[in-house]
Amino acid sequence: MDLLEYQAKTLFREIGIPVLPSQGINRPADLKSLHIPYPVVLKSQVPTGGRGRAGGIRFVENTIDAIAAARAIFNLPILGRYPQILLAESRYDAEQEFYLAVILDYGLGRPVLLGSVRGGIRIEVLIEHLQKVVVEQEFSPFYARRLAVQMGLQGNLIESVSGIVQKMYQLFLQKDLDLVEINPLGISATGEVMALDGKITINDNALGRHPELANLLSPIVNGNLEPQSPKTQLTDTEGNIGILCNSSCLAAMTLDLLYQEKGKPGSCLIVGEDGIDNWHSGSSGEQQLQMALKQLIEAKGIKVILVNILSSVVHREQVAEVITNYFLAQFGETPMLNVTNRREIPTGVASTSRQQAINPNTTANQKSASLKKRFHKTSLPQFVIRLIGRTNDSIQELLAGIPVYWMDNLDEAVTQAVSLAQSTVEKSRQQ
Amino acid sequence: MNLTPDSKVLIQGITQPLGSYYAARMKTYGTNIVAGVDVGKGGYQLPEIPVFDLVEQAYQHTGPVDVTIIFVEPYRALDAALEAIDAGIPQIIISTSGIPPLDVVRLLRKAEATKTLIVGPGSSGIIVPGKVLLGTQESEFYTPGSVGLIANAGILTYEVALALSQAGLGQSIGVNLGNEAIVGSSFRQWLEILATDESTQAIVLVDQSGGSSEEATAEFIANVIDKPVITYFAGNYTPVDKQVDNADSIIAAQLSGPVTKTSTVQHKVATFKQAKVPVAQSPSEIPQLVKKALKKS
Repeated sequence: MDLLEYQAKTLFREIGIPVLPSQGINRPADLKSLHIPYPVVLKSQVPTGGRGRAGGIRFVENTIDAIAAARAIFNLPILGRYPQILLAESRYDAEQEFYLAVILDYGLGRPVLLGSVRGGIRIEVLIEHLQKVVVEQEFSPFYARRLAVQMGLQGNLIESVSGIVQKMYQLFLQKDLDLVEINPLGISATGEVMALDGKITINDNALGRHPELANLLSPIVNGNLEPQSPKTQLTDTEGNIGILCNSSCLAAMTLDLLYQEKGKPGSCLIVGEDGIDNWHSGSSGEQQLQMALKQLIEAKGIKVILVNILSSVVHREQVAEVITNYFLAQFGETPMLNVTNRREIPTGVASTSRQQAINPNTTANQKSASLKKRFHKTSLPQFVIRLIGRTNDSIQELLAGIPVYWMDNLDEAVTQAVSLAQSTVEKSRQQ
Repeated sequence: MNLTPDSKVLIQGITQPLGSYYAARMKTYGTNIVAGVDVGKGGYQLPEIPVFDLVEQAYQHTGPVDVTIIFVEPYRALDAALEAIDAGIPQIIISTSGIPPLDVVRLLRKAEATKTLIVGPGSSGIIVPGKVLLGTQESEFYTPGSVGLIANAGILTYEVALALSQAGLGQSIGVNLGNEAIVGSSFRQWLEILATDESTQAIVLVDQSGGSSEEATAEFIANVIDKPVITYFAGNYTPVDKQVDNADSIIAAQLSGPVTKTSTVQHKVATFKQAKVPVAQSPSEIPQLVKKALKKS
């Protein structure tokens, strides 16, 4: 999660990185009580780059100009984002602008220091001069000095710039960050350094042990005990196959196979990402699965839903049960399990087979046949369910009661889903 | 790595819900769990497993252990692993996921210095089918045999194990490297281990995405490993977030604004093909390629 510039600067100030006097502006009228002297820079606080080019940064000389400029900036979306707050800051005359960053390099598994003597917004030049030092072992200031020297700095600048890098690293470690960046670091004619703009990326996994960062973030992140909604791996409005898997790797594979067979995935949801863990924590896995089914059925353009859930026997039974019950509920049928008084529940569907629905003596086969008939009159997507363990009687019995295609062979399930989707498309063309 | 049903196994975080659940499952599978550790739970007795407050106390009871499996909560995982290293446990499997990455960096620095083998974090562990289960893997998809399976994907690994089992190709071992951005042991390390493992005749590598050392791994397989290696990569068609993982490309991407993400899996597949390492198109193609490669060798 990225902090806004003014939030990053708050942390810079705390750790001792020099920043300019500044003030947060919540509405243009706040500028009447500005306590920093003009000339002033007004900066849009949006979590995107390219603010300067987009017109989100303006220099102003007096209150009248400032209020007009602030109004304009508040109404200027930058990559679709409007600022909630502006930052009014003193102007600074920099003779040179450097780029500095401390970042966690996930490939190396080590923090890395980066620096360029050509900071600012000309990216190509910046990157051309970018120097890198990998922090292999426990950090010590020599790593920062090494970067300064690699950047080509001399004399006092080595000490002052590496001092900033050192503080950036301290902040990086102290707050468990993914990135601390200063761009540009202004260097005045007298060799004084100043962080003119900054960016900080927080690591979501570490946020829990940094309440001070959580407080800093405007929408306060709090522990949410609601069942998590299914994760979306893919959305393609052109596609017509909905996919439901229990892990992102399985989803990636299922998508690959569908594309290889010339299928058109439209939406791909993941439930119980942490697999077993999620099923353990009570019914949250089941709720997620129900939510996902609903989401896919309601999604526009989805003709076929392919469920590919690979888990242990116990969970497979749960999955089969949830799907079956969900399916029956779509027709106002009573769930097949866990319900004692089938007769009492109204069907909610005005249908000729209503009687059959409340007849407890109907066999699973008859029921299935009747459901199939009704199913074809609805606009519900077709279901292809791939569940291992076809030999398991209880699963077999459950799924036999509903009009779905189910199989345990992966390739067959994929082929079935694709051919069903294609035939539905052809049918709708003919009509 | 030498894993037998006699290997002595410790569980850290054994009274956590997952810890106690999987400890019982491992025990049933035949794993020799000698003790459990959980702070404040010393003296607590699980069925046939004594519990201690500290690793060193467990040691006094059990003598040196071969491997520890960590189930503690994310913010305590670094500490638990350091405690295990301090006791001299040579192999650590970390089941916990969501550990702050800087903790992992610290742990791996230490483990490199002490030559401790770390599997995970976020790993479902290791299984030697029919013999020993270390972690949370679902054993039902595996059968004993001679194909070594190394994966950084979770449930997809079961899909591959199942495809192999159904084709009559059992497995000598199934290793899950973990699904976190930074993990301990790598594909390369495990390729090296399995290259000298007598019960392994062929190796299957299952990769989801991420990881930037694929060139090195492909070349390593081509030049160093003389057992057949078959690879499978999922995610050819799905650009996944956070696939860019080295500092230079992150900075480049950030500075130049939003860039269209391309699938690095396609790049990976190309790299392996170029190194003449067979790449399967689907899980069901893996056993065919393994059989073909075994016939040749």
